[in-house]
Amino acid sequence: MRSVTLCFQVHQPFRIKPYTFFDIGKQHSYEDEGHNKLVINRVSDLCYLPTNKILLQLIKKYKGQFRVAFSISGTTIEQFKLYRPDVIDSFIALAKTDCVEFLAETYYHSLSSIFSANTFIEQIEAHRKLIRSTFDYQTEVFRNTELIHNNAIAETIKGLGLKGMITEGIPSLLESQSTNNLFSPAQTSFPIILRNCILSDDIAFRFSDKNWKGYPLTVEKYSSWIDKSLKKNENATIYVDYETFGEHQKKNSGIFTFLRKLPGMLIDTYGIEFMNPSEVIDYHEIHSVYDAHETISWADVEKNLSAWHLNSMQKEAIEKIYSLEPLIRKMQIRKHTEKWNKLQTSDHFYYMSTKGMSDGEVHQYFSPFASPHDAYLHYMNVVADFELEVRKKKLFS
Amino acid sequence: MKKTKVLMLGWEFPPIINGGLGVACLGLSKALSKQVELTLILPKSDPSIALNLVDIIGLNQQERIRIREDFQTNFYEELENVYTLPTTIAPYQTITETQVKTKQVKKSKKQKIVRSEFYKPFELENLYGNDTIQKVIEYATVSADLCMEWDFDVIHCHDWMTMLAGVEIKQRTGKPLVLHVHSLEYDRNQGNTDSWVYQVEKHAMEQADAILPVSNYTGNIAVAHYGINPRKIHSVHNGVEKVIPYKVDKPFPEKIVLFIGRVTHQKGPEYFVEVASKVLQEYPLARFVVAGTGDKLKELIETGAHKHLGLNIHFTGFLSKEKIHDLLAMADVYCMPSVSEPFGLSALEAAQFGVPCVVSKQSGVSEVLMGALKVDFWDVDKMAHYILMLLKDPTFAKTISENAQFDLEYCTWENAAIEIQEVYKKLLA
Repeated sequence: MRSVTLCFQVHQPFRIKPYTFFDIGKQHSYEDEGHNKLVINRVSDLCYLPTNKILLQLIKKYKGQFRVAFSISGTTIEQFKLYRPDVIDSFIALAKTDCVEFLAETYYHSLSSIFSANTFIEQIEAHRKLIRSTFDYQTEVFRNTELIHNNAIAETIKGLGLKGMITEGIPSLLESQSTNNLFSPAQTSFPIILRNCILSDDIAFRFSDKNWKGYPLTVEKYSSWIDKSLKKNENATIYVDYETFGEHQKKNSGIFTFLRKLPGMLIDTYGIEFMNPSEVIDYHEIHSVYDAHETISWADVEKNLSAWHLNSMQKEAIEKIYSLEPLIRKMQIRKHTEKWNKLQTSDHFYYMSTKGMSDGEVHQYFSPFASPHDAYLHYMNVVADFELEVRKKKLFS
Repeated sequence: MKKTKVLMLGWEFPPIINGGLGVACLGLSKALSKQVELTLILPKSDPSIALNLVDIIGLNQQERIRIREDFQTNFYEELENVYTLPTTIAPYQTITETQVKTKQVKKSKKQKIVRSEFYKPFELENLYGNDTIQKVIEYATVSADLCMEWDFDVIHCHDWMTMLAGVEIKQRTGKPLVLHVHSLEYDRNQGNTDSWVYQVEKHAMEQADAILPVSNYTGNIAVAHYGINPRKIHSVHNGVEKVIPYKVDKPFPEKIVLFIGRVTHQKGPEYFVEVASKVLQEYPLARFVVAGTGDKLKELIETGAHKHLGLNIHFTGFLSKEKIHDLLAMADVYCMPSVSEPFGLSALEAAQFGVPCVVSKQSGVSEVLMGALKVDFWDVDKMAHYILMLLKDPTFAKTISENAQFDLEYCTWENAAIEIQEVYKKLLA
């Protein structure tokens, strides 16, 4: 049997506002509520609601044969609840079909897997709890922020009792093996599903690219590529930003029609099934070792941590926010812990990237700031104020 | 006694200013106008600004200007056929401009400045930009023609943008030429003497009857690097407009060490960051604030991050005068590590707010602000030491700040005007 897994990352950060030196010590709310609301509203109308509607129709039409998985970050769910409860309702409707799987991740879409082991575990637990209470769904499979992964992270996840995880399929780590298999880390046996980056990026990045030789990407063409990619008993995991549908790839690109027609083509023409990640793990045997001794991710050309932790500003920002951890743990003040967690969201550091070329363009596309340096300055002013708040008692006593 | 009639040629003037030049020009004009008859020609004047006793002629406000005489200065032809011409010149850069590119321009002998009998009203968006040189040349031709039938005793120019005009008017009328030097290309361009602007400055200073640098420091540069006769040089230190100082309570316990100015090599911002790093090791309860912008800003932000100072060094970008005052009202130490500073008005402003100053010896203001701590710009250890003393010892800080108050009494535009008048007198005697 050959199958396809469709996974969508749904993520929106709490972006911080332009926060100047003159705000330090005076202004203790950091979020740009106006901008965040604007983005949530725009993406809800352009992407989340229309795409959810299409998926629900497809699930009903194919009576259990069409299945999808979501990873929705905690910061996103919070913002839906704040600004767009109707989007939560549409996800609940999908959850009720029993054809939708929700994946576990860090609540704050953070880099805690790299910079704080304790926080990593706490944020995963908080996220699992949130998914349970929101969608009445018990998560079983983990995916880390932007598919950040290494052998040690896999060990931690195994220790949490999850049954498997998803990460990026990197050709150099695979050597000549197909990405469409189930793997395990080096030291321990634990199921790892790999994202098929070629098939995924065909939709996420290249769909509207008129200079691409695959343009225009028709359902027929794409399905034949999936067919070619899959050998017997293989599963291809297509994992993209959910915002691909209607936001990154605009409606007039034909992306919605593409999505509507894809399941029928795969199921009816090629006999390829849809399987969710937990089913892939149940159904398939571990094929081989995927030895990620260095940290990988799905981001940028390098597919490592360099999207968030490369230049001096990113390193300084990350160092300073995690340096507050002992104090936060000692104080145990909920308000502070929550602010601290929100400041860990990886997007803040992503905006500080000074990479050029096409990666730089992607970073800038997402950034609410005029430049990486602006992003850094405002973030550090916020952290300076936050540090003051946390230390206040100590300082003035 | 008959009042001296002064034809003053200015470039920046409030509210159209880019840096200290416009502020100084206004302060001087106001003070001088009480003693002399002053006519001031500006490339662009804002109708909102009018001074009681100064006749301000904005070329942009003029109706058609008639050209009567030929341009007499043959200076252009003296220049070599090929010279290096910056495509963008912003002598007082405040914008985060990429580096000034230079390109070789072929100066064709056939191509003369197009002259028609009538000029359109003088139009310009900005005082600087890609065509600064063109603007400077047009300003020279238009203002020279404009003033031909006016009655004046002395010509007084401010910086290189108006020097061509001054030289031209002197050639036509024979009136004495006074050059007020607020800043020299040698300083702005890190010792480069190869540029057109440098040539203009050198030529004009050679032609001038008197040169008024804003400090001995700048006067010495004119002598040492332009070969100007020191007997023509009379330094006239800037004054400072009186402000009523106030205090603002800081919303945090850390002390503030302040840098104000363009973030460019000339102002030495990288020394400020290095000093910050040294001071914070010993005195962590401090915030170092860089107020201003410039071509070195991004690099400096990254250096601060690299040195792990992210939470204690803050960059505000360009700030309004009001915000600068608010900062001064909070600051505990003012630090001016300029590599080369013709004057350094901001140190006087800091002193007005009672902020103790650590200033570079390579500055004009160090000649008048006796009650400031002085240090070579490169001596970061000493600079850090002084700042630490000021942060740790409030009594010492108070003494330094009080000493400066005596100096401020002499730093007025009125005093500057008196010195200038003496120069006029000598020239007209």
